[in-house]
Order: sequence, then C-alpha cells, then structure tokens
Amino acid sequence: MRQRSVLFIAVGLIACAGSEPTGSGPPVTSSNPVTMTVLGRGDFKPLTATNGRYTGEISVRGTTGYTTTWSNSSAAQGEFFIWDVSGNVPALVDSVHIDQARTLGDIAVSDDGSLLIVATEQGNGSIVIYSLANPRKPVLVSRFSSNSTILGVHTAEIGRVNGKLYGFLSIDPGSGVTSQLVIVDLSNPANPTQVFQQFIGTPYVHDTFVRDGILFLGLWNDGVAIWDIGGGTLGGTPSAPKEIGRLKTINGEVHNIWWLKDPVTGNKKYAFIGEEGPGSIGTSAVGDIHVVDVSNMAAPKEVGFYTVSGAGTHNFSVDEANGILYAAYYNGGVRALDVRGDLGGCVDVQKGLLANSLVQLCDLRKMGRELGIGLVGQGNQAYIWGVQYQGGSVYASDMINGIWKLTAVSRP
Amino acid sequence: MRPFWFTVLSLLCLLLCLAPRVFAQHEGHNMAGMRMDSTSGATLHLMAQAIPLVTRAQPSAEGITRTEGALTQAMLMARATYGAHFSFDGTLNLEGLTMKKGELNTGALGEGYVDRRHPHTYLHEAVASALGATGPLRYSLSVGRGFAAFGTDDPMMRPLVKYPINHHLAQILERGVATVAMRAGAFMGEVTSFNGDEPTGPSSLPTASRLGDSWSARGTWLPFAGAEVQGSVARVKSPEELSGAGLDQRKVDVSARAVSGDNRRYVLLEWARTRDRDRARAQDVFSYQSALAEGSVELGGAKLALRLEQTERPEEDRTADPFHTPLPATDLSINGITRWRVVTMHVTAPPVTASVFSGFPFVEVAHLGASATQPLAVFTPARLYGTSQFWMFTAGLRLRLGAAHDRMGRYAVAVP
Repeated sequence: MRQRSVLFIAVGLIACAGSEPTGSGPPVTSSNPVTMTVLGRGDFKPLTATNGRYTGEISVRGTTGYTTTWSNSSAAQGEFFIWDVSGNVPALVDSVHIDQARTLGDIAVSDDGSLLIVATEQGNGSIVIYSLANPRKPVLVSRFSSNSTILGVHTAEIGRVNGKLYGFLSIDPGSGVTSQLVIVDLSNPANPTQVFQQFIGTPYVHDTFVRDGILFLGLWNDGVAIWDIGGGTLGGTPSAPKEIGRLKTINGEVHNIWWLKDPVTGNKKYAFIGEEGPGSIGTSAVGDIHVVDVSNMAAPKEVGFYTVSGAGTHNFSVDEANGILYAAYYNGGVRALDVRGDLGGCVDVQKGLLANSLVQLCDLRKMGRELGIGLVGQGNQAYIWGVQYQGGSVYASDMINGIWKLTAVSRP
Repeated sequence: MRPFWFTVLSLLCLLLCLAPRVFAQHEGHNMAGMRMDSTSGATLHLMAQAIPLVTRAQPSAEGITRTEGALTQAMLMARATYGAHFSFDGTLNLEGLTMKKGELNTGALGEGYVDRRHPHTYLHEAVASALGATGPLRYSLSVGRGFAAFGTDDPMMRPLVKYPINHHLAQILERGVATVAMRAGAFMGEVTSFNGDEPTGPSSLPTASRLGDSWSARGTWLPFAGAEVQGSVARVKSPEELSGAGLDQRKVDVSARAVSGDNRRYVLLEWARTRDRDRARAQDVFSYQSALAEGSVELGGAKLALRLEQTERPEEDRTADPFHTPLPATDLSINGITRWRVVTMHVTAPPVTASVFSGFPFVEVAHLGASATQPLAVFTPARLYGTSQFWMFTAGLRLRLGAAHDRMGRYAVAVP
C-alpha cells in the first residue's frame, strides 16, 4: 500500500485530487427543545465496514413493529424484520424473505390491523401483501405487480375510501419513462386490482397521503397536488380522481405529506410537506418542512417552515391527540414540533427565509414550536429514515443502527 | 444469423469496398494538417475499428470474479472536407449492438452502468463545420451531435483500451452541439452550447427541449509542435434527469498533452473536477475529482503504455442487476463517494497487417484500490465487493481498417 501511495505522489497529482462533500454544513443545532429520552435500541445485525444491513421504513401496531431493509447486497437478500416493541428495547422476533428486490422501501399496516403491505424496488417492482392474523407471523396473501409497477414501487400508502381499502403506489421512473401513480383496490387482498394509473411528477411522485377521501401527492418539483378521490365535492373516485388544487412549494423536491386533522381543535387547516434534497446516506442530508395552509384546497398557500442547518427531513408521524409532529431528520435525528394552533400567523421576528428564497414565512423554531430533539450527539451516528408515534413512545428506524424507542415529548 | 451481426458485417464489407479508393486519396490521418493545406476539392478518410477482448475482473460486483468477452469500440469513422470552408466529422458506434450489457470494467460509472462501461450511442458524432479566416484569425462554427468543447480526447483514441474511470468527468459527448471556435497563432478558444441530458441508451438522440440549456468553454495553448495545454469549464444542466429536474454539474478540466514528432511517444496529464449542484437551493452538494497521468512509447514494433489514475465516483443504489443503477435515480441522494486508484499497464505487440486491415494484439493489467471518502458513508467497497483491492486482466486484438484517426473531441479549427 505504501509503495502505491509513493508512486502516485511521485507523479504529483494525487494531492490535488481529494475532496469532501460540500453539503454537510455546520453541526446540527436548535433552540430550546428537550432531549428526547432514548429507551432502547434494537439491532438485527450491527452495520460494519464489511457487512450488515441498512434499515428502511418502520411501521408499528400494538406491540409489534416491522422494519424494511434497503439496498441489500443482492436482489436475493430482501428481508423485512419483525420486532417485539413491548419493552424498552425492541427485540427481534423474526424475519421474512422477499425475493427479487434489492430494496424493500416502504411498509404499512392497514387501519384495521389485518394486512401488512411491503413495497419492493430495485428488482421486480411490486407490493407484497401479508395477513396479520398473527401479527408476529405474517402470512403471504399475494404479490401484486403489473406493467405499471415493474420499475419499482418507491412508496405504498394504504387508506380507506368510502369503506374500501386501497393502495397508493408511487412508481419509480425509468429510462425515458416518467414516474407513475398507481392505485390498487385491496378489498380482496388475494386478488388486488389496479384501478388507476397516471404518469405524473417532475421527475418523481415520491409519496402520498390519503385521508377522508382526499389524496395528497408529493410531486417533487411539481410541488404538492390535492385530489378528490371520494371525499371532495368534485365527484372524484379512486379510479377517476379529480384534482382540487396544487402548489409548488419553495425549492420543490416534495417528498412526503401529512395532512393534520386535530381531534381536539377540529383544525384541518395545515398540511406538512417534507422536502428531500440531495444527501449522502449516512453522512449528510438537506431539506425542510414546509407548512401549507390547505383551508382552501383549490388554492393552497405556503405559510411556514422548519429548517435544521446541516440536516434534512424525511418521513413524518403525528401524535394528533397532542398536536405534535415527529419528523425523521436523517443525520438530524428525530424532531418534535408543536403543530397545534395558528402556524401561519406570526410576528415579523418570528419570520425567516428558506434557502435561496426571498419570501418571508413563519419559522416554527422562532415561534418556539420546536419541542424535542432525539438521537443527536449520542455515541452512534444516527441516520433516521422513518418515525412512528404510538402509545406514548416514538419509534425511529435508523438506516445505520436498527430501530430506536424513545419517550414521546409532552406539550409545554 | 442475428440481425445485429448481419448489420455489423454488412457495414464492415461496405467499408472494405470503399477503402482502397479512399486511401488513394489521402494516406495520412492528421486532419489538422489536411485542413491547413486544402484549398479546393474534397477529401474523405474512413476508418473502422473493433476490439474483441476478454476481461477477467477479480473480483467484480458482489464479490464475484467474472471473465467475459466483448466486442468493444466497434465503430466507423468518417472525416471529410470540402474545400477550405467545410468539414464533417462522423462516427457510428456499434457498441449498442455488440455489447448491450456493457464492457466489464471495474470502477467505471455512467449512464446507468456501474463497474461496466456503457455502450455509446449509435450516432456518436455527426458534426458539420464551416470554417473561415480573417487575417491571422481562423474561426469555425460546428453544429451537430458530438463532443462539447471540454476536457480531453475520447479514450477510444488513446493508447489504453480500457476506459479510465474519469470518462464522465473529463469528456462531454453525444450532445447536440453548436461550437464556435477561434484560433490565432498558438492559441485557440471554443465555446459550445449543448443539451445537458446524457443519452439514456444507444438509440438516444439529444432532447430537443434541452438544446442550449448547457454550455462549455475551452482554451488551448500550443507552446510547441506536438504539445498542448488546455483548460475547460462547463455548466451542465441536469445530465442524469431528462426532465431537467436533477442535479446540475459544474465542471473543470485542465490537461497537458505532448506527442513526439514521430508519433512514437505520448504523454497526458489531467486534472478534473465535477461539482453536483442543487439548483433549487443554489448549493453545491457533492464534488468528485480526478487526476490522471498516462503515456506510451513505441519500442520496436511494440507499444508500451501506462496509466495512473485517481478518480472519485458517486455510489448509488443498484438495481437487481449489480452492474446497473436506476436511470434516472429515484431521488437526488447518493450512498457515498469512493476514491479509486488505478494503475494500468498495457502492451501492444507489433501489428499484423493485410491489405488495409491491421490487427494489434494487446494485453492490459490493472490494479485498483477503492476507499470511501466519507467515514460515515453507508457504502464501503468491502460491503459490496468483499474487498477494496481489485485486479483486471484484459487481452484482445484491436482490429482496424484504414489509418487511425489521431483525435476525437475537437472540430474544425480547434483541432491542434
């Protein structure tokens, strides 16, 4: 090794050929949030320089959690893991193999707890449907793929529209093929039926959020779109959606959405938009949370934001009963924000600018709404993909370290 | 016989028929010299090349040692002039037929291929140029599909057969280009307007809506005969995302090149850097650098060549096929950056010649080392390959019909 180094130095070129990523930025900081208490970490196989797995998304129901694995070393290595999360330290209880997929990116449990849906990509794009009659022993029901999904299912959200269960699949783009939204009727899980397909997004549709017959779509640089699929006044259905409105958020790169329905105040005014900028997995990330006023869905309006210097957001989970949004923030750990009340009405000193923008918006941090930070500055460098709030705890999937269980924060 | 082999053989036969007349017109291949001297009439040079080779990559992706054959760099080149004011450069590249799955080449990256070099587009070059002069100033306008004025010569015209890893850092090719070039004495300047999007397959053509969204500029100094120093910059919009929504690139390349008068010795020193830029936030996000030194010398009838290279490449999620990355990517993130150090030695034996056919047997041996540049990056060479040290052994025969063309990547008055 030394001889090779000397050889390269001798030609006088190597010294000027090193570089570091320029996007890592300053250390992650915040105002006066509490440090979220870590209860425990579950790790199926520690990630080392030579081996191990990366964790993807997390879904928790009751005392059972499910995590996917991302960018496995071969397409024959796709697996998801099943956890007992009843204790402080999540305990691995089983794993399930899925063939022909290097990445299992998304995982979700149906609202009634009967089905588990796993999205597959970097291989045979599909959704794999399991029965959760025994939550710790998922049983394969069917695997759905079509010409529309074959490029890869990036995310698969499931939701009920007028009593019927549907899957909302965001399909990867391909060479010369635009990304697609595919809607699948899951009312007969043994025989899923594709009811809608549309090429959409510039260049991606990355995620969706469905509630009360309204579908939100994260269309990257096309912003966020709001569709009536049965809950609006335009007569839309899952097989024939009608667009209600659309907004290009500042800086685009719209990744995910959460439309808040506050059970205490009845407020349905705000949607939270996750922006996913370019990051180096494990090291750096970029992207803010955008607060959009959707009280008039035909004309949504961006009113606020939350930003973390040197880190970027990913998926959300909201403790709606307490009005607290938890955001996976990749290298910025987990962030807890108070999202109850008026988020668009702030005084001038509480306003700020998003990167590369001259539009003054309410800054949730300056408004004192940053309640908690977790998994930052600890021994293990964390890189948090997903979070889920449940029953007073927050579960976080860490691409590097497995999964974490933290104590949820309280309202001030 | 499969259709593409029929096509290949047909084209080679056609060229064979044309070749005697063509070479009766002009035996040389120094296009610059030809253009300087020609004041009337037409000239045409044709060349065909193909390289059957076998490569053993030890190991390759997923830690598996692979040995594969390929017919690489299969192409037909035409260089034509009409009087002193018009020229044409055309290259048909047949790799889309002869090596659909790419050429085993550990470390290579680009256009959805990784650890294999991607096949080029069938229409590699078709550039028409108009030339003129005013006093000591000569100028040209070149339009068509080809190389932007940036960086160094295409590796196909260089002594080593295996491409360097820095191909996509050091050349911008297969674009719809409009290049203005000026030359006065020992100095040349070029500016190209082109489409930023890279090809997505052998049949790709430049995207019409993207024409003119990117630019490059190159300045060249010719200090003495056979020597040149160039510096280039480029701003490339979203090369990997057709819609234009991907990351932009800001590129720099500087090099010094010298060739002896008898064309038996050659050396190239090059440094290049590409920064990925998030246009939405107006921020540079990733940076990749390359340093390369290569040279060759002819001893007797044999040619010896050596290349030293250090190049950084992004690591992206791979598809079920470990030699492919999603094209386009599913988001703007990467899994890390690896730094590759490569030593490649090449020996070409004296050629075997029959009529206008030449065969140049060669062997190449490359040793590669790879390391993650970021300590926390999720991608490490050891996880994918099981090691950070690699060997590549290649043996083959460079088949050529007609005299070799010296340069590829410059047009009209910008050819030194």
